[in-house]
Amino acid sequence: MEWRFKPARDFGLPLWRRVRSLGREPGLGSRVLHQAWLTSIGLYLWAFHRLHVDGCDNIPAEPPFVMIANHASYLDAFCLARALPRRLASCAYALAAGDAFFDTLPAAGFSAFAVNALPVWRKGAPAAELPVLRARLEEDRVVLILFPEGTRSRTGTMAHFRAGMGALVAGGPVPVVPCWIDGAHAAWPPERRLPRPRPISVAIGVPLTFAEVDNDRTGWSLVAERCEQAVRGLGLAQAGAAS
Amino acid sequence: MIFHVAGTDEALANPVTVRLLVAALGAVTVAAVVTGGMSVAGVGTPALRRELWLRLGSWVVLLPAMILPVLAGKTWLIAEVTLLGLLCLREYNRATGLFREPLIEFVIVLGVLAVNFAALDHWYGFFVALISITVGLLAVASLPLDRPAGYIQRTALGIVGFMLFGSGLAHLGYMGNDLNYRPLVLLVMLSVALNDVMAFTAGKLIGGPKLLPATSPGKTVSGALGALVVTTAFFAGVSHLIFRGSPIDGPLWLLLLGVLVSVAAQAGDLMLSSIKRDIGIKDMGAVLPGHGGVLDRFNSLLLTSPAVFHFVNYFVGFGREQPVRIITG
Repeated sequence: MEWRFKPARDFGLPLWRRVRSLGREPGLGSRVLHQAWLTSIGLYLWAFHRLHVDGCDNIPAEPPFVMIANHASYLDAFCLARALPRRLASCAYALAAGDAFFDTLPAAGFSAFAVNALPVWRKGAPAAELPVLRARLEEDRVVLILFPEGTRSRTGTMAHFRAGMGALVAGGPVPVVPCWIDGAHAAWPPERRLPRPRPISVAIGVPLTFAEVDNDRTGWSLVAERCEQAVRGLGLAQAGAAS
Repeated sequence: MIFHVAGTDEALANPVTVRLLVAALGAVTVAAVVTGGMSVAGVGTPALRRELWLRLGSWVVLLPAMILPVLAGKTWLIAEVTLLGLLCLREYNRATGLFREPLIEFVIVLGVLAVNFAALDHWYGFFVALISITVGLLAVASLPLDRPAGYIQRTALGIVGFMLFGSGLAHLGYMGNDLNYRPLVLLVMLSVALNDVMAFTAGKLIGGPKLLPATSPGKTVSGALGALVVTTAFFAGVSHLIFRGSPIDGPLWLLLLGVLVSVAAQAGDLMLSSIKRDIGIKDMGAVLPGHGGVLDRFNSLLLTSPAVFHFVNYFVGFGREQPVRIITG
C-alpha cells in the first residue's frame, strides 16, 4: 500500500458524532479493544455454539470485499466476523441498526470501538450512506459485513434482499462473499432476551463480482437478486447435506 | 512511596510556588473581568468575544488539570506528562494518517511509556538511550511487512512523533526528580501560556507585518516580539527567585534562558502550524473549545521542555543529590 498522507475520515469530530460516523477509523486503542472482543466472542461461539465454518477457502485473501448472509439473530454478525482470518477480521466492519445499537453513548461506544460496527439508519437517508460505504470499500479497502434483508427474520425464514446493497458493488471491482448461517435463529431468536446453547454453522460460498453490472437501480436490483440466489443456494445445499 | 501524594505543606513549601499560583489565579481573574467588560460594553466583534469566553472557559478547566498533578508529586507529574504525550500523539497520528500503521504506532506508544518510566525511575542513562533505541526500533518495525512503499514516510513520521511527544515532553517529567521541581515546572507551564497570550494580545493591539504568512497567517512580528519581551522578563525574574545563589543565577544566563523559552515556545507553535498547513487542516482536534485539540494548546511545551531541561541541567542539574534507579535498583 502506498503511503497516504491523509487524516482519518472521522478526524476532528466530537466523540458522540465520531462513534456514529460511517467514516470512523480505529486507532491503536480501538484495535486492541476490537482484538480482545474478537477473541472473547470467538471463545464464546466455540464453547457455547460449537461454531463450525465451511468454505473458508472462498474468502478472498485481501480486502476489500462484502460478506452477506441470511439474518435471523444478533449472533449472525459475530459468526461471520469469527469466520474470517484474524488479519481480515481486524479490518471488518459490521453494519448494524443505528436505532438499536447507537442510540446511547455507552451502547454506541461499545458497538463502535469493541464490535467495530457502523450504524445504518432504517428511518434515515440510506441514499446518503451508500456512497460513503462504497468509498470505504474502494479507498480504505475494508471488509463490510451486512445483511441485505434489512432486519432479523422473526421466523427464521430468509426474506427477499433489498436492492440498496447493489449500490455498494454494482459496476465496481469489490466482490461479494455469500454466506449461509444455520442454527443462529434456534440459538437466539428475536423474541428471546438471551441466547441458548445450540450449534451454529456457517457455509461460505464462491465470491460474486458485479463489475459488468450497471450502477443504477436496475443494476442494484440485479445484484440483490443474484446475491439472494447465491445465499439461498448455500442454504439449500446445507439442508441437503444435513438430510 | 512512589504513589505518595504531597500534602499542602510539602506542595507549597517553596514560596515561589505560592506566588506562581497566585499569579495564575490573578491572570484568569483579570481575563474574566476584561472579557466580561468587553461583553457588557460591546467591545470587539461577537465572534471575538465568543472566542475569548471559550478560551477562558477552557483555561478554567485546564489550569487545575495542569497544576494539581505538579503539586501532588513527581509520580503524578510524570503521569500527567505521559497522558499528555499520548493524547498529543493520538491527534498527530490521526491527522497525519500514521494511525493506519499500527506497528509504528505501537512502537511509539512503547517508547513514550518507556521514556516516562525512565524519568520516574530517575535513570538518566536509560532516559537518553531510549532515543536511539526507539528510533532504531521504528526503523526496523515495519520491515517484516515487506512493504517498502511508504517506508521513509511512515518511519520518519514515527520518529518525529516519538521525539516530540515522547522524548521531548518527558523532559518536563524528568525535572520532577529534583526536590525543588515544583516552581520551575509551574514556571515553564505558565510561561508558555503567557507567551501564547502575549503573542495574541500584542498582535491584536499593535498589528503590523505578518511573521510567516504562509505558515500561520494570524501571527505578526509585533506579536512575536511582544511575547519575547514579556515572557523573557517574566521567566528571568521568577527564575532568579528559584535559582538564587546557584551558578545559573546571573542576569546573562537568566535572560538567555527566558529568550530560549519564548523562542522555543513560538517555534513549537509554528512547527505545529506547518504540520497543519501541510496536511490542510485548521485544528488538530475539537476537544478544547476555543483552542482546538490538545496539541493546539500544548504545542509550545514540546520544544520548551527539553530546551529548559538541558540549559538548567548544564548549570545546576536535576536531582543530583537524589537516589537513582529507584525502581529498577
